[in-house]
Amino acid sequence: MNDRRGPWYLLTGLFLGLLAGVLYAWLVAPVEYTDTPPASLRADFKDQYRTLIALAYAAGGDLNRANARLIYLGDPDPLAALVAQADRQAADPASAADVEALRRLAQALGAELASPTPALSPSPTAGQASPTPTASPSLTPPLPSPTTPLTTTLTPAASSSPPGPSRTSAPTRTPTLTPTPFATFTPLPSRTPTATPGAPFVLDERLFVCDPALNGPLLQIQVYDAANQPVPGVEALIAWDGGQERFYTGLKPELGLGYADYALTPGLIYRLQVGAGGQSLNDLAAAECESPGGQRYWGVWQLTYLQP
Amino acid sequence: MSNRWIGFLLALALGAALGLYYGWVLNPVEFVDTAPASLRQDYKADFVLLVAEAYQYEGSLELAARRLALLGSADPVQLATDGLVFATRTGYADADLAAIRALQLDLQAWLPAASPGTP
Repeated sequence: MNDRRGPWYLLTGLFLGLLAGVLYAWLVAPVEYTDTPPASLRADFKDQYRTLIALAYAAGGDLNRANARLIYLGDPDPLAALVAQADRQAADPASAADVEALRRLAQALGAELASPTPALSPSPTAGQASPTPTASPSLTPPLPSPTTPLTTTLTPAASSSPPGPSRTSAPTRTPTLTPTPFATFTPLPSRTPTATPGAPFVLDERLFVCDPALNGPLLQIQVYDAANQPVPGVEALIAWDGGQERFYTGLKPELGLGYADYALTPGLIYRLQVGAGGQSLNDLAAAECESPGGQRYWGVWQLTYLQP
Repeated sequence: MSNRWIGFLLALALGAALGLYYGWVLNPVEFVDTAPASLRQDYKADFVLLVAEAYQYEGSLELAARRLALLGSADPVQLATDGLVFATRTGYADADLAAIRALQLDLQAWLPAASPGTP
């Protein structure tokens, strides 16, 4: 008698074996990652790691090492991650010291990235504090050297754009004041550092700048603490009839850690409040300038907030 | 009949081998939300150094012990000692070794406050 059942038994065996193998590899004995890098840590553990880095920087002041450790975490933008974490934890009074440390590190990194100084990228010297030794490569996995120059690539966040009506539909407005062409930003007076954490920000200076290169209508704010240091992560609430939006300082560190900007929509009247309980500024609106040749263009509001 | 069984078992074994290859090599389970306890040894040692530096700044042994506990279920003193051993063996700078040693010694001398009801 001929067997005409064909090779289906082979395919069945193959399929069952395949299934058993995959189930075993995924469920019974999955690959175990026991030597993981900090980049694979869960988000809350990364937060704790970041806090430790900031505290270690506060203790020792080694910015290169702090930067190298932040690189271990694998954040696309370590500076933004610091600012965001400080922002998240700012509401918890128990985390005040951690938030302060995070902000100081962000400030130091932002200042360094804005104007890199070769002095902060030293080559290894004897006795220099370093978590990665310069000897015994067989014992030391290839960690990033803490002397790596600060080359963290920052991707500046896109400028906040209002979700409101399209700019092109706004009517032309005549300015309610006559701004001086190309007004300059007045430097702040020096102040005695008397840090008063939690004090609301107050408006210190309000300028209207006519400069076509600034691409108005734009609102630019600079926020400083009592020690005249720019403060990242400060929330600004801007509201108009029918809407509101929040934006934050420090997302464009190349323009200053305390800097934030907001694209105004012509035709809307805004109310601005910087920081919790900060001084409100009403009747803020886009305004036009006129070039010597008679061309009209949108000007830029520049506001400076200080913490008393 | 026995040839069919042999063929079946061979196919089963081949399928299992292919399945293992797929599950272990081509598409293994990825652990992306790991804990500090799974960190590579050198990162663990740096973590101990981080805790020691934070302790220098904050001065809280309780906080330091809680942070070290993230590295595993061992005693905080043991975790600090493990970090110190690795740091010494791999040539950490003297200041770093001193910081870890100071944390280790303080942890050895530290006794957590007794909770109510304990003898």
